Amino acid sequence: MSKLRNVAVVGFAQAPIVDAEPHRTAPEMLYPVVKQALASCGVDRKDIDYQCAGSSDYIDGRAFSFSQVLEVMGAWPPVQDSHVEMDAIFAAHLVWVKMQAEECDTAIVCGFGKCSEGSPTHVLNLQLDPFYHASLGLDHISTSALQASAYMSAKGVDDAALAEVTARNRNAGARNPDTQLRKATSAKELQATPWAVTPLREGYLPPIGETATCLVLAAEGKAEKLCDKPAWIHGVDHRIELQTIGARDLTRSASTKLAADKAFAMAGLNSGRDADVAELGSTTPAEELILRDALGLPSGLGGNGAKDGPAVNPSGSPLCGNPLMNTGLLRLAEGFRQLSGRAGERAVGGAKRAVVHASAGHCLQQNIVWVLGTERRWS
Amino acid sequence: MSRAVAVVGVGQTHHNSKLPDVNVAEMVRIAVDKALADAGLSHEDIDAIVLGKAPDPLEGIMQPEQYLAGALGAHLKPIIRVHTAGSVGCTTALTAVTHVASGLFGRVLTVAFEKQSEGNAMWALSPNYAFTPPMVAGAGGFFAPYCRAYIKRSGSPSHIGAVVAANARDNAGRNEHAHLKDPMTVEDVLGSPMLWDPIRFLETCPSSDGAIAIVLANEELAKKGPRKPAWIKAGATFTEPMYVPGRDQVSPLAGRTCAKHVYAKAGITDPWKQIQVAEFYVPFSWYEPMWLENLGFCELNDGWKVVDRGDQKMGRHLPVNPSGGVLNTNPIGASGMLRFGEAALQVMGRAGEHQVPNVKNALGHAYGGGAQYFSIAILSSEL
Repeated sequence: MSKLRNVAVVGFAQAPIVDAEPHRTAPEMLYPVVKQALASCGVDRKDIDYQCAGSSDYIDGRAFSFSQVLEVMGAWPPVQDSHVEMDAIFAAHLVWVKMQAEECDTAIVCGFGKCSEGSPTHVLNLQLDPFYHASLGLDHISTSALQASAYMSAKGVDDAALAEVTARNRNAGARNPDTQLRKATSAKELQATPWAVTPLREGYLPPIGETATCLVLAAEGKAEKLCDKPAWIHGVDHRIELQTIGARDLTRSASTKLAADKAFAMAGLNSGRDADVAELGSTTPAEELILRDALGLPSGLGGNGAKDGPAVNPSGSPLCGNPLMNTGLLRLAEGFRQLSGRAGERAVGGAKRAVVHASAGHCLQQNIVWVLGTERRWS
Repeated sequence: MSRAVAVVGVGQTHHNSKLPDVNVAEMVRIAVDKALADAGLSHEDIDAIVLGKAPDPLEGIMQPEQYLAGALGAHLKPIIRVHTAGSVGCTTALTAVTHVASGLFGRVLTVAFEKQSEGNAMWALSPNYAFTPPMVAGAGGFFAPYCRAYIKRSGSPSHIGAVVAANARDNAGRNEHAHLKDPMTVEDVLGSPMLWDPIRFLETCPSSDGAIAIVLANEELAKKGPRKPAWIKAGATFTEPMYVPGRDQVSPLAGRTCAKHVYAKAGITDPWKQIQVAEFYVPFSWYEPMWLENLGFCELNDGWKVVDRGDQKMGRHLPVNPSGGVLNTNPIGASGMLRFGEAALQVMGRAGEHQVPNVKNALGHAYGGGAQYFSIAILSSEL
């Protein structure tokens, strides 16, 4: 791998994830978050070169939804700006590419999505092939259940294992003041919850919530000045697969595997086991197991998920809160918090390298993998 | 930009009010296949894909890059989806340029589309915002007051919009891909119904189905041919908020800032002398003189004089929209990339019947939102 430009995450702020924030619009939720993120780096908005948001018109229920947040992101006088109709973690990737092209040195990335103003179940159905998939009435829960079912029958994984994986995440989430479900639970308790769509129980599925997020990125030379402990980007890659669910092997995530291979090669990692922390964008326990396989992490089964290899999902993962369009960026933020001493009670002691994953689409269709480190990657 | 980037292939569909024989995926695939054939490449040669389109409610498919992954040849590749309102097509192309300039990707395929016949643009473009009374007026109703303000402030005679529209239609007649091509005179335009004063029916863009795809490559790969490349000398996107007190909606500061930034990077000190052809985003006729001013081709309030002299026509000093422009072809998400792609074809000398002779530098431009999002590129025949 040729030498790249060292770029780091230097700041982050979020609103705590809630079921619904009935008294504030998306811009009202985002405004204090942008201020907090900038203040955490001690930087003025005018000293930021570039801004990029990630959001969805369908989630917000109006066309050009992103144009409402220009004021609160600080776009006056006019600024260099873009927007991706994706989870904001892809905006962070675009910023990293832009820094590699030497088009900017500092940037803010914002995510928002007022999921409570619409019906995410109906909206996510519209993401599917309009002729062959969407018309079946599939939503994200039913497609996740298809994938869970395929994985369980191929690998001999049972309901108790899904309950155990979920409980581990929920108990981690109990220590995360910003997440949505903060009540510790047990596998037994979760196994007693009713089926949502078999083989997924209601207890295995995250609530969809809402938040607003702002991440600050900076290139070497600026990053050290903005943050005492920047989280340097050692590698990143993302890949998509065909959507057609019947044409994919749902028991594995080929796009995660390929993205991880590329990101790990860039970072000089042999596998996910080389990291101290892994934060995954899994929205069901079956997804976590599939992602562990793809990233070379311990299987997560038989009780070896917590002790063997890196700490997985210290934030509680999206299983404790799934604010669409922010869910991915929150994983990158968790990697930053863990490496920069900002993870509070849930800090993984001595963490030097983090693997971060996020996903988009149905059945893990599109995946992005990052490697972060406490030291610069290239000298 | 740290590394040289060039356009090495361009492909577009024919544009029409309805392309009834193709669905969204098939329409996009036609443009992709044509761009790859034009570049003498296949899907295996592409390292990443950048997709752009305007609001998803226009077709009713949420985040269509997921559904279109197969049609775009994106399986197991990186793909991102840009959305910056009407400017999105040009911004998407520039995002792909950034990907190549980063050194991380050798060749990038960029695609933009809209299939307006699948939905209702008037509805989709009349969004409700909190604490803001809904206009329910579509884009024309939104921009008409800006055009009225332009006329008042510049002292332009009232026929200028009609001159722009008739000239654009004349140009579209020479573009095999254009949607509207029927000949039309200034008198025809002036005689057409007033929709949103001062914008008449024939001064308004159509709703189109269509797609465009462009292949970009780094210097080493671009020089391998088979085409003479179009080099990207500079590109940038600037944005401003809607509700800034004192904001100049007629000649927005973001547009002026973007132009200044791009000219500085491209080494252009006098755009009127150094740029031979321009493709502006003109959805309503009056925007042609407005952008001539905003982009620094003339002094403030003088844009209408350029049009009145006819200096923006084919064969004159600065042909504007030789393709016929947005006024005759408007698949919204693709419209900005069509400006970028047409500018590339002009510097490659491959614009066919609407080719402007001896083009060294061409400008591609798009804008969007409430005249808030600006995206500008300078393409050149020389590295």
